[in-house]
Amino acid sequence: MSALAVRRRRLGFGLALCSLLLLSAGLVAGGEGWSLAELGDLLRGQDAWLIVGQIRAPRTLGAWLAGGLLGLAGALAQGLFRNPLADPFLLGSASGASLAVVAVLAAGTLGGYGLGHGVGLAAAAFMGALGGVLLTLALARGAQHTLRLLLAGVVVGVVLSGLSDLLTLAAPEALRGRQVFMLGSTGFLGWDGCLLLGTGLALLLPLAQRLSRLLDALVLGEDSARSLGLPLPQLQLLLVGLLAAATGLAVSQTGLVAFVGLAAPHLVRRIAPGPHGYLLAASAAAGAVLLLAADVAARTLIAPQELPVGVLTAIFGGAYLLWLLNRQRGA
Amino acid sequence: MTVPLQAVSLEVVLGGRAVLREVSLELRAGWTAVVGPNGAGKSTLLRALAGLLPLRGGQVRLQGRPLRSWSAMQRAREMAWLAQQGLQGGDLTVRELVELGRLPHLGLFGTPGPQDLRQVEQAMQDTECGAWAERRLEQLSGGERQRCLLARALAVGAPVLLLDEPTTHLDPPHQVSLVRLLRRLGEQGCTVVSVLHDLPLALQADRLVVLRDGQVAACGAHDDAALHASLREVFDNALRIERAGGRFVALPDLG
Amino acid sequence: MSGSSHLSRRRWLGRALAAVLLAPALVAAAPPQRIVSLVPGLTESVCALGACARLVGVDRHSNWPPEAAALPRLGGLDDAQVERIAALNPDLVLAAPGARVVQRLQALGLKVVALHTRSHQDVRHNLLWLGQTLGDPDLGRKAWAAVETQMAAASQSVPAAMRGRSVYFEVEASPYAAGPDSFIGQTLVQLGLRNIVPVALGPFPKLSPEFVVRAQPDIVMAEARQMQDMPGRPGWASLTALQRQQVCAFPSADYEVLVRPGPRMGRAAQQLADCLARLAKDTR
Repeated sequence: MSALAVRRRRLGFGLALCSLLLLSAGLVAGGEGWSLAELGDLLRGQDAWLIVGQIRAPRTLGAWLAGGLLGLAGALAQGLFRNPLADPFLLGSASGASLAVVAVLAAGTLGGYGLGHGVGLAAAAFMGALGGVLLTLALARGAQHTLRLLLAGVVVGVVLSGLSDLLTLAAPEALRGRQVFMLGSTGFLGWDGCLLLGTGLALLLPLAQRLSRLLDALVLGEDSARSLGLPLPQLQLLLVGLLAAATGLAVSQTGLVAFVGLAAPHLVRRIAPGPHGYLLAASAAAGAVLLLAADVAARTLIAPQELPVGVLTAIFGGAYLLWLLNRQRGA
Repeated sequence: MTVPLQAVSLEVVLGGRAVLREVSLELRAGWTAVVGPNGAGKSTLLRALAGLLPLRGGQVRLQGRPLRSWSAMQRAREMAWLAQQGLQGGDLTVRELVELGRLPHLGLFGTPGPQDLRQVEQAMQDTECGAWAERRLEQLSGGERQRCLLARALAVGAPVLLLDEPTTHLDPPHQVSLVRLLRRLGEQGCTVVSVLHDLPLALQADRLVVLRDGQVAACGAHDDAALHASLREVFDNALRIERAGGRFVALPDLG
Repeated sequence: MSGSSHLSRRRWLGRALAAVLLAPALVAAAPPQRIVSLVPGLTESVCALGACARLVGVDRHSNWPPEAAALPRLGGLDDAQVERIAALNPDLVLAAPGARVVQRLQALGLKVVALHTRSHQDVRHNLLWLGQTLGDPDLGRKAWAAVETQMAAASQSVPAAMRGRSVYFEVEASPYAAGPDSFIGQTLVQLGLRNIVPVALGPFPKLSPEFVVRAQPDIVMAEARQMQDMPGRPGWASLTALQRQQVCAFPSADYEVLVRPGPRMGRAAQQLADCLARLAKDTR
């Protein structure tokens, strides 16, 4: 087995091990921070099922699954644009989701509807994310020209952000809710959310892997990929669809968590690069570990208070990028 | 006998400008080099032949049938194209890159069989990049990468090969190997069409097509005197064609 | 006739449905003993009804009365700490409509009630409802009556000279004003003042600064900190109210009482009336 294949296998084992450790850690991290003693007390008491089973377990698993979706989405985005700086929020999904969330919150405070509370918010965020990407596709007239797609994504992002700012003017209470959404949190994840995330990941990852040869071929350039007989417009559209679905699902349950989608494929490529058939799955696993680690830290660092998980991922992600830049300059 | 690749009155308009005007060509087995000054439309012609550009008028015929009547996969198995631009990413190993050349035969999901593996090995041997089959592309130099890209095009095993500037980044010894390879492929019955800006190399081909301002100025064998005259004219008399052994060479005319 | 029997069957169905929906409320007749409040106004209401001891947790903004301030802080409405709330085992959670935490807590099997706190009517409704839920409807009525009495007294104490004057009450620096429909605006109306903000703009509109300058309110009310910066805002130096110091600049603690919709609205009204009396004295 080549050295590279050995490294890939080691990475796989490492990620699996980290996942197990962090999943267990998530059960210990709770209202009083990190306390094995407290966990013991809980398990002996009668609140065990409620606290550990209904609150800690689903949000820990949910963080892992959402991270997996974001990691997958990041690898898809970087493969589609052939750019290592691409992240899953490039096509307007973030601003679409945030606009939808603000709309629901504003309607709730203005009209007093309280539109289905939490369920409404998650569904709205998902629809908003998909809507943002659809708008981008419409503006770019298909997924064929990646430069046009990128530009359309930027335009849609700016316009939808502006609209959501406008809405928060009319309903200032929605501003707080939007802020919390933008910073990300696993606090609202229950088992129903986990089911959605799990089903999504189980469907989207194999589907994406079937497209892995396309992503590999895109390295040759779009024209060469077409000359190899690949129906590029349709396949690229499918890619964008998978990207939107993965991002939308993750965002609807945990809000906007920055950098996980960007950093996960980077880390995998740095440690053990490879073709996309492997890269997609490895990025998903890396993203899962990253988000879960940030979530456990967010719950324990200033307990009993919680940091928004998006703040931690932004700090770590930013630090990682700075370190990368430094390495480039030195090298 | 059917003509492997034929252009019939091709008209291509890009960005409002007519890049190819009434270009008609018959490309047969052997190595044909397409030459011409900058902006003559050489790359555009190759891309039009490969079916990568919409045509304002005219038709491309592959093995006698219009290109449009071929399914994408069939066409890809019949005709391989090498782009002028380089790679957009370096994570793959050389072998993984060359294996991409088997996509027209495998599709997105097929597993490579012994025939595919053999073609890949042969392609890497022909372009002398077998030594670093397991190395990642970003670890290679420009010339080495170009040979891998060439191998990818060869791995398709298509009877028609369209190569856009295949000698980019190649140093003289490897340029010579390439010329030998292209000649050999031509002798074996492949239809090789290459765009070359390097005239001395182009004159090593069996036939030349001279383009100027989107039209065919001349088309003939490498030793055709009328072709040589056309070449001199197209390049503003900046060169002269001289005999050197069994072939001809182009030299700058400073006189 | 089939027509009328159809209608009566529908009516019966409707009543049965209503009974089924209300049943949980009727079944849970025992008054709650462990209450979590995520809205400061509701925290104060619970304590005003003498049930402060039943509170087991509050949100981060609930700081009055001092007994409530000492309780565990459970975050805000948007980032409530679900696990800590659940660990406290409350039998009633008070929240606001539209908060995401409501659905999550309900999914965990907790009883959550979302109450509006936007107007006098809301506060009255909440006090009455809380009184009933806590097991003593009389307390609710008495608490509201106390608020009304205080407000009436405050209104009486406003000097006649100040009645009919126009007022601008600033809620936030952008500027957001209190409209006549908000609980603050309703208090101001009761004190006999006229709001420069028209009803049509809603309870807490974001005004253009030009609007305020052109309206030239007789009295300007804001938090002392914002009041300091007002003359510096472009064009605001021309406000005669600022020039003549016809202003009510409230220190933070007092200001907090003014903007909290709850049982201390009577005290808020008194604070406002005291300021008006001071202003009337100064102009003499």
